[in-house]
Amino acid sequence: MNVDVLKSLLETFGPSGREEKVRDKIVELIKNLVDGYRVDKLGNLIAWKNGTGPNKKRVLFDAHMDQIGVVVTYKDENDFLRVEPVGGITPQVIYGMRLNFDGTIGVVGVERETSKAYKENLKNLDFDKMFVDIVTSNGSNIEVGSFGVYDAKPIFAEKKVMSPALDDRIGCAMLVELLNVVDNPYNDLYLAFSVQEEHSLAGASVEAFDIKPDIAVAVDVTASADTPKADKRTSMIMGKGPAIKVMDSLSVSNVKVVELLKRTAENNNLRYQMEVLHMGGTDAFGIERTAEGVLTGALSIPTRYIHTPSEVCNLEDANEGVKLMKILIEEEITF
Amino acid sequence: MYIETLSNLYGISGFEDEVVEYIKKSISNRVMDLKEDFIKNLIAFIPGKIHDFKLAIFAHTDEVGLMITRVNDDGTLKFSPVGGVDPRVLVGKRVKIGKEVEGVIGFKPIHLQHSEKVSPSFDNLSIFVGENYKKVTVGDPVHFTTKFEESGDFYVGKAFDDRAGCAVLIDMIQSVSEFPCDTYFVFASQEEVGLRGSGVAIANLNVDAALVVEGTTAGDNPELESEHWSTHVGNGPAIVSVHSGYVVDKSMFENLVKIASENSIPFQIKRRTAGGTDAARIARVGRGTPAGVVAIPSRYIHSPVSVISKSDFHHTSELLKAFIESGVFLS
Repeated sequence: MNVDVLKSLLETFGPSGREEKVRDKIVELIKNLVDGYRVDKLGNLIAWKNGTGPNKKRVLFDAHMDQIGVVVTYKDENDFLRVEPVGGITPQVIYGMRLNFDGTIGVVGVERETSKAYKENLKNLDFDKMFVDIVTSNGSNIEVGSFGVYDAKPIFAEKKVMSPALDDRIGCAMLVELLNVVDNPYNDLYLAFSVQEEHSLAGASVEAFDIKPDIAVAVDVTASADTPKADKRTSMIMGKGPAIKVMDSLSVSNVKVVELLKRTAENNNLRYQMEVLHMGGTDAFGIERTAEGVLTGALSIPTRYIHTPSEVCNLEDANEGVKLMKILIEEEITF
Repeated sequence: MYIETLSNLYGISGFEDEVVEYIKKSISNRVMDLKEDFIKNLIAFIPGKIHDFKLAIFAHTDEVGLMITRVNDDGTLKFSPVGGVDPRVLVGKRVKIGKEVEGVIGFKPIHLQHSEKVSPSFDNLSIFVGENYKKVTVGDPVHFTTKFEESGDFYVGKAFDDRAGCAVLIDMIQSVSEFPCDTYFVFASQEEVGLRGSGVAIANLNVDAALVVEGTTAGDNPELESEHWSTHVGNGPAIVSVHSGYVVDKSMFENLVKIASENSIPFQIKRRTAGGTDAARIARVGRGTPAGVVAIPSRYIHSPVSVISKSDFHHTSELLKAFIESGVFLS
């Protein structure tokens, strides 16, 4: 995994619906590594590299470019802002936190007219009781309809990385890495860098329509259950290898895709783990129901503290995932 | 006035026939190519100056209402909502069941409520129709009967969501002298029950961009603080940036704001992100079509009576005409 690529993607502003800077960066990174690319009408970036195998299949790997964020819903006469989440932000996570409105930084405060009200507000925190105080400008550049994201820097420490937006820039970085390492592809490789996953999966719903892939794999993060009193019902562990998803709350992976991923990992001595998540969903939900339907699965990087400013994952899991994808592209696929 | 007739017409989701017939009559002089599909979408095509860019403009024909689920021989009827209806707004309201039966929605009288305050719900509300229950069948549509009125700067009536949008589209069809590109006007069915008509319509059109014209929540009630309003009636058409199911296309959003500003047309940006429009469906069908959304603020939306501002209504027409005529979306 090229850490510089990941770092630059993590530092790029791109909430759902405002992914253009991330897309431009990815285009720069991949344009000389692919046989072609296009941007569709919703803003998805689609790139491809042609395979040469006699029985080649069309294989689509997907990662979403967008990150969770907020949109400004009101600005008062003193330029205090009200915001609502775009994607799954828990209000408790952002009190006292810095938000970045594409370069302009503000801090999140809570209404506190009386001590009682303050306590009550903290207990039942919601976006209606919070505001943003813009600090680094007079606020005149921010309007209703402006977007913001968490303001926090990525930190790299040995194999671990901690950053906002690992969901799903880690997936984007893996697809970029795949293009760098794939050698003489047997299968046709398609990459979709999608928009609006966090908000509504809108991009993934249409990205595969013209590709008509034989199989598709969404590459995204999943909740790791390896912290104190973590979810009792799931088993994903950071550092144990990428997770082959069987099911989450939005989709059941196609069994052929699950078996293919598992078999490929086994045959090549790649580390992996199985994933069943009783919440969440990925672009797989949008892709699988495109046109006449697509055989779809998902490969996940176990990640702690998802949707907070400090998501943590292990780069070895991502590296192992790239190896798995490389083999899928370079070898004949039989079901 | 188109809006008066359209507001008074009956057409809950799936029962839009009257509305479709009226719109057909109102635009047939200007439109050569009119198509209807199985789900009761009405699609009007007007060729434009260029043919290699195609635009579709959507408004939905259906309104929220109720449907009969059980007929009792004591002259009472039970019902379910069609679209998002708050049962608490239904007490004491007049309704029409099917084509001819009049009814009133009843609830336990205040005299008998004593200390236990039970909220009206679909379980404890009934429609009373007396002897006419014999003319009612399970599955009959139920419509609110509020008649359209003008009151100062306001239009008062039912179903402005989205007959106001339908009226804006008819007005555009009648008054734009030349469309810059091939343009489809889609009067879509079944929006209120899950954006269904628009999904069918867009799947059969190959267009480059779409506009959705809607009636939207105001939420500017005096008991709410203004920072929590969604839109404010009288402040101009609401241009939507983010709503449920779709972050509105950036360039459509920015171009709508630009055209409104350049033409000094009052506008507001919709503040709350709850609620969706056909744009969410249009984005995710086929290879995906980006859409912009303009909405007319409507107070007491999804109830038997709502209020919109005449000036918002006219400015919405003005904004959309200016937007279309500018051709700004073509590049």
